[in-house]
Amino acid sequence: MKRSQIIFILLFLAQLALWNYFNFTPYVFVVYLPAMLLCLPAAYNNVRTMLLAFLLGLLADFLVNGTLGLTSIALVPVAAARRYVMRIAFGQELFARGEELSFQRQGWSKFLSGILILTAIYLLIFIWVDSAGIYSVGFMALKFVFSLLASTALSFPIAILMLEDSDTRWK
Amino acid sequence: MSDQKASSILVSAVVFILLELAALVLLYRASTLQNIWINRASHRTMALLWGSGETLRSRFQLEALNRELQAENARLQERLRVSGPADGPREEGIYRYTPATVVKMSRNRTHNYIILDKGSEDGIRPQSGIISDRGVVGVIQAVDKHFSYGLTLMNPDISIGARLDRSELVATIAWDGRRTDRAILRNLPPHQVVEPGDTVRTSGFSILFPPDVPIGVTGDSRILDGSTRQVEVTLFQDFARLRYVTVVENLKRSEIMALEAAGEDAR
Repeated sequence: MKRSQIIFILLFLAQLALWNYFNFTPYVFVVYLPAMLLCLPAAYNNVRTMLLAFLLGLLADFLVNGTLGLTSIALVPVAAARRYVMRIAFGQELFARGEELSFQRQGWSKFLSGILILTAIYLLIFIWVDSAGIYSVGFMALKFVFSLLASTALSFPIAILMLEDSDTRWK
Repeated sequence: MSDQKASSILVSAVVFILLELAALVLLYRASTLQNIWINRASHRTMALLWGSGETLRSRFQLEALNRELQAENARLQERLRVSGPADGPREEGIYRYTPATVVKMSRNRTHNYIILDKGSEDGIRPQSGIISDRGVVGVIQAVDKHFSYGLTLMNPDISIGARLDRSELVATIAWDGRRTDRAILRNLPPHQVVEPGDTVRTSGFSILFPPDVPIGVTGDSRILDGSTRQVEVTLFQDFARLRYVTVVENLKRSEIMALEAAGEDAR
């Protein structure tokens, strides 16, 4: 098994642990799964990423959330939007040159926009579906903003960790 | 190249839809909260989608409906004498009556339903009866803010306590799923002879409907398995022409149910 695959599994397990133990406030939901999907190899096509996202979501719901389908329903659109967001954030040349993502090469500002967009997609769907019409729009908006800030902040070190190999190539 | 790209987008779209549907189905089955939410969204969509169709259909029946409404109005005026506001809720004894309009109703299924244009904001609660000037229509099952969803008498899941006018016999009536204008009165004692033409009304023994709401008129009867008699009932309500209804809520329902529960516990 490749080092990157082991890191991916360990980070996924850490996400599950975080969901299980970080329950201090209903206003903040911390997620870095969208950033993990973003940092998958650029060559991964949409179908492959969506299937992976669906399975990761199911596993997460089975092990932590208890509501099967909740994470999948939010994570699959993230996977579907991944390549489009990569084009917007990192430019078309990433695919044209067959490059991998790298903090050294692309710079943090592009990563910030990519992570922000994907995390926002995830949180929008997750918070809306999770609330099931019970919470007010104000509560959901606050939860979205706080969660987006916290999740994006945490997603940066996660992305750095996942892209360590490709970063060393550009140093 | 562009063909390849188009087919790739198509495959992605199909996989996306399939995965989202799978997630939605899982969610629907896994959580009651999401189940209710999805159901509500479905009812609201149906109401919006089919409400306009029903309105269009009713346009073509305006003349007949007008005549019917005038007659109904006269009957109600006569019955009420002193009444509350005509289009608002009215309380009478332990029942509250709220007029409503049918937004959508199915008539050709085994499990038929009805969607009304009044919801929780109008004081409608689940487990309330639905009646019209012709008789019993159904029972409210779920309530949204502005709409409510009910099962009609044309649904085998609904059974109503009924009483025969002449013989005072009490039994349950339910739809047999065959004809839109017929239901079956079940569990009558086999030795009781039920004459055709007897009026069937609500017994008032359930918490859903007040007593003496008309349901239909008896037809042929037969003995089933030598132990019970069942009687065909031709319903007064013509579901194909139903447009305006009244929702009946038993204001003492929770009190009665609490008493029932206490009685069950004591046993």
